[in-house]
Amino acid sequence: MLQRSSAEAISDGSGLRFRMKRLTVLASAALLLVLLAAAWIQYRQPSPVALTPALTGQVEYCLTCHGDLPEISKSHPVQTFGCVRCHGGERLALDADLAHSSMRGGANPADLSVVEASCGGSDCHSGAAVANRDHIQRVKTSIQATYAGAFAQILYTFGAQPDLNARYGVYAVQAYQNTNPRSLPYLLAFNPDQTTSPAIKAFLEKCQTCHITAEPMPGGQYQRYTGCSACHTPTANRDPQQLVHQLTTAMPYTQCNTCHNRGNYDLRSMQFQPRTEDPSDRLHDYYQPIAQFTRCEWTLDCVDCHTRQEAMGDGNLYGHKKDIQYIQCRTCHGTLDELPLTGKVESPDDLAMRLAFLNPVIDLKVGDTILVTQKGEPLWNTRQLPDGTYELFEKVTAKRFTFRPVKGTACLQKPDQQESRYCHECHVVQR
Amino acid sequence: MRPSFFHHLHPPTIPAIQARWRYTLGAGGLAVFLSLVLVVTGALEMFYYVPTPENAAASIQALTFLVPFGGLVRNLHYWAAQILVLVVLVHLLRVVFTGAYARPRRFNYLLGLFLLVICLFLDFTGYVLRWDEGIHWALVTGTNLVRSIPAIGPGLYSMLVGGSQPGAATLVRFYAWHIFGLTLVLILVGGWHLFRVRRDGGIAVPPPEARRDHQRITRFELVRREVLAALLAAVGLIVLALAQPAPLGHSIQAGISTVADGRAPWFFLWVQQLLRLGDPFLWGVLVPLGILAWLVIIAYLLPAARPQELGAWFPRGNRLAQLSVALIVLAILGLTLLSLLQARPA
Repeated sequence: MLQRSSAEAISDGSGLRFRMKRLTVLASAALLLVLLAAAWIQYRQPSPVALTPALTGQVEYCLTCHGDLPEISKSHPVQTFGCVRCHGGERLALDADLAHSSMRGGANPADLSVVEASCGGSDCHSGAAVANRDHIQRVKTSIQATYAGAFAQILYTFGAQPDLNARYGVYAVQAYQNTNPRSLPYLLAFNPDQTTSPAIKAFLEKCQTCHITAEPMPGGQYQRYTGCSACHTPTANRDPQQLVHQLTTAMPYTQCNTCHNRGNYDLRSMQFQPRTEDPSDRLHDYYQPIAQFTRCEWTLDCVDCHTRQEAMGDGNLYGHKKDIQYIQCRTCHGTLDELPLTGKVESPDDLAMRLAFLNPVIDLKVGDTILVTQKGEPLWNTRQLPDGTYELFEKVTAKRFTFRPVKGTACLQKPDQQESRYCHECHVVQR
Repeated sequence: MRPSFFHHLHPPTIPAIQARWRYTLGAGGLAVFLSLVLVVTGALEMFYYVPTPENAAASIQALTFLVPFGGLVRNLHYWAAQILVLVVLVHLLRVVFTGAYARPRRFNYLLGLFLLVICLFLDFTGYVLRWDEGIHWALVTGTNLVRSIPAIGPGLYSMLVGGSQPGAATLVRFYAWHIFGLTLVLILVGGWHLFRVRRDGGIAVPPPEARRDHQRITRFELVRREVLAALLAAVGLIVLALAQPAPLGHSIQAGISTVADGRAPWFFLWVQQLLRLGDPFLWGVLVPLGILAWLVIIAYLLPAARPQELGAWFPRGNRLAQLSVALIVLAILGLTLLSLLQARPA
């Protein structure tokens, strides 16, 4: 029982109590409302889509938002690789900014600055040379990446170096291999501050878009990514706003033409003159108007002849593209005196069998005889036929061609004139 | 009605002037409520959080995105903690600006200062438990400040960090401090603080002979008011938690820092600004300790408010103390604002 004293009145005004009660009811209703709001927000969340790739065993939730992306290639199935193995990123986050915060290379994990973490590994693309898994080491030293040839030519032309030996590239790099007398031990990164020549400065400003670490010029015809994706992700003439999620070894000529056959340089004005004609078919689109070429050079794609070492390097550092480019007409067609070089597919683990498995345009079998290059690289999309002719399957379209060797024909070749330009004298295509 | 346990935690009646919002701002009670929220949400988080460098940030991401209402629990915990620091500061300022630390409440005032420090350490240890890029600078700098203390610094650093540099042992120790060491101290000293409030005669008001208003309210009325305040606080907290998620980054990756500028947590931004002035021990340890020491001194050495002046804001008796604390608060606010206004690099 409460003791009341006359001096102290207990506050119990009914008006105050009613107000308090009403406020309390309102506050409780508000609490219930916000709790319901919380429940509603929770159940509006998209349900997470889990993927546990076989390679990592760690669950990822990227597919919650990116489930409609196409598989990047048959050799990189998402059930095996997942997304994070190549791209990085926060595998458990469902908030876009957080999930993408630790991605390598932004949207392109194949950029050479991050390619080792994304594509590397001894079982993947930075393994041993004998296992044919040293792609990254070779690409990083290849002339399409270092741009060493362009630097050597420009610096020599404008008096910044005394000879055509390459000393500089776009980045400093040491040779991965040293198996060629023309190979260099290292290249330095060219520092713009070490030149005052306006021509060389113009070169540094205007002519740096055609090596694979550089962003290309604006325009659909130049559209490509950097690093490995520069060649292996077909982007040419597609909408630049649309990201392309594809890797392939069957690159059409248009992908090579994001840098090649795009125009000419004028050394006097240090200007690039882009091709301006508007070709309507492959014959006129393939090469520049000044070029001469035979029929196979425009009906086939570049990758049907040019080899892996030519495109990705052999690990040596070179200062001129002619040190690595070696494919000739004779590689496939032979000469008047010699048949083209061939080799036999000995085992299912042969490089030729692996490459044919990756791109099955040809049903290569152990025991088949295929053409090989002077350096021993297998032309795995070719095969010798029992009657002495050869067949070739186009890598992009699987179209089949047959051809004869030069030996035994009425060809007018001289033994010491075996370069392609001599074949062009008779076999050039008229546009 | 028969009073329940909660009713019995309160005196049978208290003077009505002790329970006015405009006087106390309800800050002390709000601090108790927020601490309860923190204990409950913290306990729920413990089911998912993993205190190892490899898994800490990932376990928080799993809790936030994959556990039903996990994000809400985490956001409630985060906001309750930040609001608690603000509320505790408001409570301190209220006590100083109403002169309520005068005798016999001087010891309780010391307990309160101790609780303030514990709160800041709880917030800091909780911040570190994220183990993501955002906390990296704060962790390294904070532990280095400890090391800068002469004589005992390296020893204290070893005890805190568990090694020669922050790593797995540090995370485990900070976790232990956060969920147990500091929490236990908070509960014990907090309980003592609340006991002393009652022992010292409740919230500071003039003695009965100096009062004009002699109304009293019952424990039932008092509990009703507390429940209303708790409901409103809960609504506000949940709205905040739903509207603004707690920050989260990707985990610390050895050798790589993806933030261009290191930032202290918001309640230590003023210390970060001070550290620009020179010697870390002087500006990072001595100056903050000096501020704490001054807060102690004003209760024991400066003139206090007279008993009949209590129960109102800005009494004449302790104007010097009020002024000095106001200046300190403005300085800290100014330094914090300076830090916030400095442009962050992209």
